[in-house]
Amino acid sequence: MNPSLKLLLLLIVALEISFTNIVSLNVALVVLSIIYLLACRVKLRTLLWLLIVPLIPAIGLWSTQYINGTGQKELMAWVLFTRIYAFVFTGATLTLTTDVLALADSLEQNCHLPSKFAYGVLAAYNLAPKIKHEVQVIRAAGLMRGQTLSFWSPQLYFKAILIAINWSQNLAQAMSSHGFVEDAPRTHYRQIQIRTSDWVILIGGVLLLQVGVFVMPWR
Amino acid sequence: MKWVKDWYLSDIILLALIGVFFGIIFLGTNYIYDILAAVFAPLGLSQIPNELLLGLWCMPGMLAGYMLRIKGSSVLGEFLASVVEMLFGGQWGASTMISGVLQGVGSELGFTLTRYKHYDWLGLVATAATTTIVTFGWDLARSGYAKLQLWLLLLFFVIRFCSMFVFGGLLTRAITDLLDRSHVLKKTHTN
Amino acid sequence: MATIALENLSYTYSSAQTPIFEHVTTQFPAHQFTLLTGPSGTGKSTLLQLIAGLLSLPAEHGQIRYDQALLGDIPATDRSKRVAMMFQNPNQQFAMDTVEHELIFALENQQNDPQIIMHRLTSALDFVGIRNLQKRLLSQLSGGEKQKVALAVIVAMDSDVILLDEPFASVDPIARAGLLRRLVELRDHRGKTIILADHDYAGYDELVDHVVQITPEHQLKMLPQTDWAQLFAAFQPQALPTWPVPSVVEQPLFDLHQVGLSQGEHTLLTPTDLQLHAHHNTLITGANGTGKSTLFEALVRLNPYDGTISYQGRDIQKFRQKRYARQVALLFQDAEAQFFNITVAEELAQSQKYAYSDYFTPARIQAALTQLNLAGRDGQVIYTLSEGQKKKLQILLMLIMQSPVLLMDEPLKGLDLKSIHALVGLLQTTLRETHQTLIIISHQLTGLTPLIDYHLRLADHRLQYGGATHES
Repeated sequence: MNPSLKLLLLLIVALEISFTNIVSLNVALVVLSIIYLLACRVKLRTLLWLLIVPLIPAIGLWSTQYINGTGQKELMAWVLFTRIYAFVFTGATLTLTTDVLALADSLEQNCHLPSKFAYGVLAAYNLAPKIKHEVQVIRAAGLMRGQTLSFWSPQLYFKAILIAINWSQNLAQAMSSHGFVEDAPRTHYRQIQIRTSDWVILIGGVLLLQVGVFVMPWR
Repeated sequence: MKWVKDWYLSDIILLALIGVFFGIIFLGTNYIYDILAAVFAPLGLSQIPNELLLGLWCMPGMLAGYMLRIKGSSVLGEFLASVVEMLFGGQWGASTMISGVLQGVGSELGFTLTRYKHYDWLGLVATAATTTIVTFGWDLARSGYAKLQLWLLLLFFVIRFCSMFVFGGLLTRAITDLLDRSHVLKKTHTN
Repeated sequence: MATIALENLSYTYSSAQTPIFEHVTTQFPAHQFTLLTGPSGTGKSTLLQLIAGLLSLPAEHGQIRYDQALLGDIPATDRSKRVAMMFQNPNQQFAMDTVEHELIFALENQQNDPQIIMHRLTSALDFVGIRNLQKRLLSQLSGGEKQKVALAVIVAMDSDVILLDEPFASVDPIARAGLLRRLVELRDHRGKTIILADHDYAGYDELVDHVVQITPEHQLKMLPQTDWAQLFAAFQPQALPTWPVPSVVEQPLFDLHQVGLSQGEHTLLTPTDLQLHAHHNTLITGANGTGKSTLFEALVRLNPYDGTISYQGRDIQKFRQKRYARQVALLFQDAEAQFFNITVAEELAQSQKYAYSDYFTPARIQAALTQLNLAGRDGQVIYTLSEGQKKKLQILLMLIMQSPVLLMDEPLKGLDLKSIHALVGLLQTTLRETHQTLIIISHQLTGLTPLIDYHLRLADHRLQYGGATHES
């Protein structure tokens, strides 16, 4: 499916289930997502991991409602518990199966996102492994000078921002040197199209969601 | 689309890089949340660690607005941080992006209400307050806060504001003070 | 086709008072290879950035012309056809994830027809000889491979002028020779104009057409060919003294067991057994890009490695991080990595506060500052110091800490001879009293040799004590 439309569909789903309190709908979304993910050959281990990661926040939201809620405590508790999983699994249908580059291409070509946003963010994102290492270096350098840098230490962020400033200038220069001109037209080697089927899935998906929210007599 | 012209490529990369850097630092705090949330769960209070740490996750937006002083920098800073977070950590999916936009808009409002003139404690308090209010409104629906007992709601609100003020106000101020004193930021100020 | 003319060019950094260039007028002739020389910090990068149009030049500060056209008049979208740059740091010059995507990105920027993009991409990769890297992730490539990709991008864009800013800092000798060969070919067969900035002139005398120097008077001087011999002679390989090979001991400082290092798929060090010794200073030499810094990062647990490294008989992975950092500290190549405060005085105070021994009393620190010509700068913001001053301050800060082992990565980089002598003097007096152990990576050997007890060479993916092979 076209990445931009997929993202749009998921945003609509996420927004709408934030305002609806139907456990079965959330579960149905999780099941649909799992079927989609399996069809895309996502590993079972990854799916299992997706079940474990949100467990603590989900239990947290559940117990908050169950113990301190008002009205239909039990219902709300399960609504929130399943809602978290619905967020995670619908989200995974994008993050686990759609290439970041394809999403950026689609946003640039289909949604006319200015290319400087698409490629500026990509450039930063692609440095993530280096950045992870750099955070370790900052922390180690601090320890070597006797200072433990924690997430509340201004120096840790200060150093990170200094590096970010330096790298952002280097990257911007490098991209200009590779011919990138802000707000200038570009050609596209990877053509991303919106097919009729994409629209059908989007509109069908949204309609199905409305059926799930307003029509289905879940309980 | 005039606002598009106000942003230079290097600003966009800078905000995105800050998003990645901060995201990686924040990921290291997840274990604190997990432990505290597990401890508080039997009391039905495991949102407390969430409230305590939320200011941290909203810091990129408040910091970007305070540091770059361009209209829209809070929204863009927080949004880019959340996009990177979604692509990078990934587990909260599209709702991360929605939260990111709302957090960014919340932070931006504080600077807007002070007419983009108060890059001082007033501006910081304002942005912490508006971020708290907007994100809290979102959680009334998303996290089912609307159904909670009033005393708990008030408690969460107060803790959230404190967290926003500590991370978005005090810590942001400490970081930008270091930046100001180091004289490195002027070189990047493009407008 | 491009002769570059600088007309009455002046440039000053907004943060500095002294100009970098004052009313410079000169030409870089078309289809020729010019070597731009001058010590670090004299403005080579700035000049290249100005020529590339990456820094803007106000009209009153002179003009840059490509043939007849003013650089400022060339539309931004045509600029990459005229000029492209290869940067010193290979890690921040790509926007995309893979080699192929980066080349496509550049070709799309030039608004090439999608139909011809793949053809130009593959022929550029073939020209540089890296077709095998096409699908690889850039983050997994070695320094040399990254610079080859950077050259392939320039070849694909077919830019008339190729600027290179100290491009070989992290490139191994074989990759460097390959890159230089390609540059000569680009000049001879494709008529490219090439300007390359470097502070190490080894191997250029056979290749280049011109040598331009940045003078202390902020001018550019074309060096007549008769003066070349003298300039290049200083960069002939130095004859190294021979140091003894240490004997194997029961409890060495570091014990490396089958330690191997790699960068992506590129092997840096084949599994090696080695001892490093306490209270002796070991020098590590080896060409750029062979993995010396990676070895240091492994020793301080910042880089993964194969095998085991023990410190004083204990696996370094088993130490608590904080405790290990108190034992083994690294002087990073980038001085700024070691600073955490704003002013010189604050930095000194922090080191004193956390130092592990009280050898550096306020009086000794004052004397050291004077010796290093850093006295009287207490209130100065570190980020406004010159590169040389930053380096000296960084070394002093790490010396004050007095960790038992200090790994020093290129401690003399960018320092003038006077500073080097002052620094080595300070190290000698300190070591006599404190018995700290130094392990030093250095290209710059002048003045350093009196400190050294043992010598390790990293070459051909092997790390061995001196004498085994000759310096080439």
